[in-house]
Amino acid sequence: MTEQAEWFRQLRVEFIAAWAIAKKDMIIYYLKPNIIVSGMLFPLFMFLAFAVGRPAEPSVMIPGLIAITILFSASSIEPVSIPIERRMKTFDRLISAPVSLHAVVLGESLSGFLYSIGIAFVPFIAGIVIFGIPILNAAPLIIGILLTSFCFATMGTLFASYPTESPGDIMSMLNVVRLPLIFISGIFIPIESIPSYGQFAVYFSPLTYGNDLIHAAYSGTTYFNPLVDIVMLIVFILIFQFAANRLYKKFNE
Amino acid sequence: MTAIIGSQVQIRQRDFKDDTVNAIEVSHLTKHFGQLVALNDVNFSVTKGETFGFLGPNGAGKTTTIRILTGITVPTCGDAKIFGKDIVKETIAARKQMGIVHETSNIYTDLTAWQNLMFTAELYDVRKAEREKRGQDLLELFGLWERREDKTNGFSKGMKRRLTLAMGLINDPRLIFLDEPTSGLDVQSNLIIRDVIRDLNARGVTVFLTTHNIEEANLTCDRVAIINRGMIAAIDSPEKLKKTIQSVQSVEIALDPVPHQWEGLRGIATVSEVRKMGDKFRLITEDPQTVIAGVMAYAERHNTRVIGVNTYGPSLEDVFIKLTGLEIRHHGVKTVD
Ligand SMILES: Nc1ncnc2c1ncn2[C@@H]1O[C@H](COP(=O)(O)OP(=O)(O)OP(=O)(O)O)[C@@H](O)[C@H]1O
Ligand SMILES: [Mg+2]
Repeated sequence: MTEQAEWFRQLRVEFIAAWAIAKKDMIIYYLKPNIIVSGMLFPLFMFLAFAVGRPAEPSVMIPGLIAITILFSASSIEPVSIPIERRMKTFDRLISAPVSLHAVVLGESLSGFLYSIGIAFVPFIAGIVIFGIPILNAAPLIIGILLTSFCFATMGTLFASYPTESPGDIMSMLNVVRLPLIFISGIFIPIESIPSYGQFAVYFSPLTYGNDLIHAAYSGTTYFNPLVDIVMLIVFILIFQFAANRLYKKFNE
Repeated sequence: MTAIIGSQVQIRQRDFKDDTVNAIEVSHLTKHFGQLVALNDVNFSVTKGETFGFLGPNGAGKTTTIRILTGITVPTCGDAKIFGKDIVKETIAARKQMGIVHETSNIYTDLTAWQNLMFTAELYDVRKAEREKRGQDLLELFGLWERREDKTNGFSKGMKRRLTLAMGLINDPRLIFLDEPTSGLDVQSNLIIRDVIRDLNARGVTVFLTTHNIEEANLTCDRVAIINRGMIAAIDSPEKLKKTIQSVQSVEIALDPVPHQWEGLRGIATVSEVRKMGDKFRLITEDPQTVIAGVMAYAERHNTRVIGVNTYGPSLEDVFIKLTGLEIRHHGVKTVD
């Protein structure tokens, strides 16, 4: 076999393995109570805590709720599944399979990705059915949901690389990052109104770009150029993917 | 059991063509965990088709060796090749040829037996038709076919172990690592697993197993490496290992009545050690003839009768105690006698 054919063959094998890992996670973890709590209820309560009592329009609140839901649900599977797999030693199966760590990271992220897309439907449908909010532009909504979900799913896998057998350890580290993201991403506080000393942090939050795209579906306007949003989200995904790959490798030595 | 294996799992003689002679080649393997030296300059090779045993007490470095050979951990220095592929540099190519049975029965307890097997098959790129065929064969072989749709959290320890073995074999590997395949299992599970190992060996599959069960090593392995404190103390066939220590032959005697004070037995010429075993005594010696004469004289002096005498050659257990015991006493002096 030529080197190139061999390379493509292995690429296919990597995707099959990643998909197998994702399917396994879906069967095992989607219905676990702690995942339902952190993936569904947590974002809802977070949202209610900040949104109730504000004179905001549903057309502003719904995209915000979608973004927050994705932030929490996409990164809620792997921080639970990976420490449990370490404890049960099934993680050794994944890291001794004849595929690269990239396939393992991708597989783990895929389950969170699909989970959060499913959950993002809840606020999305609620917006249409309960509040009758029109969608002005479906493209940024779909792209925004897909990229944001994938980005935070990969972020969850990255955090889960920390070599612990207790999901709580990773959840608390993750919350140190996730909670502040809500305030620096233009969800409750428009980016223009964020005080100047916080302005630069806005650019380092993937949620900024995700929220900008999702918001555009409802308002028709974006803060950044939509292409910038897309490119930035892809950049974050790549950073998380490669950082995760490195860390899983490092912590096994 | 062998008949079942023969008819159900294809007993195809595996004919692997490549240039390498050795399935595993390990040179100067060393692994440090902080200050702790878990492996210290380990060298050995396993030829294709061989059943090779790694025998050592707890903490000897057996699992660490397997984790390095399967690319889960990287060695501090030294290298290891699997069918000529460097496990650090060509990890994936090396892993494609191997099956792994980890020390703990690491199955997904929220999945059924069948789901566990199919998941493993997908990780190893086994095509659908083949994985379903092999999956059924393996579950039947390991007596789990009736339980295939059950979640494995209700499985007994032995069933979990057997499923773990089935998962290790689903990709039809040419080399299988078994980390304590039978430890803590009942006789029935043990027999199934031993039969499978023999059958694999007959089909030309290379088997690398670790154990602290000496009898298991004696029964199943072509060659055994005795490892202690991260160092290899000896490598040879079980028979040859026994021969290297003629000094631990033994004479077992039964005396009637059993003397209360039996320390005098130690005084018999050439006896190096006396072990009381139930109502009998085992006298370790390099010269059984002299000991038997000495025992007769002892019986006469102490008004007791010798009602039974057996002599034993060295057992693998003796070799093991001798080698690992010496290691502990002399801190790292390698010696065979
Ligand atoms: N990840 C690790 N971190 C620190 N020390 C380790 C690690 N893994 C193994 N060790 C140490 O290395 C030594 C060898 O351990 P290893 O698990 O290889 O032993 P073993 O021969 O498999 O023992 P057992 O028969 O109990 O399974 C032990 O002292 C162990 O404590
Ligand atoms: Mg071990």
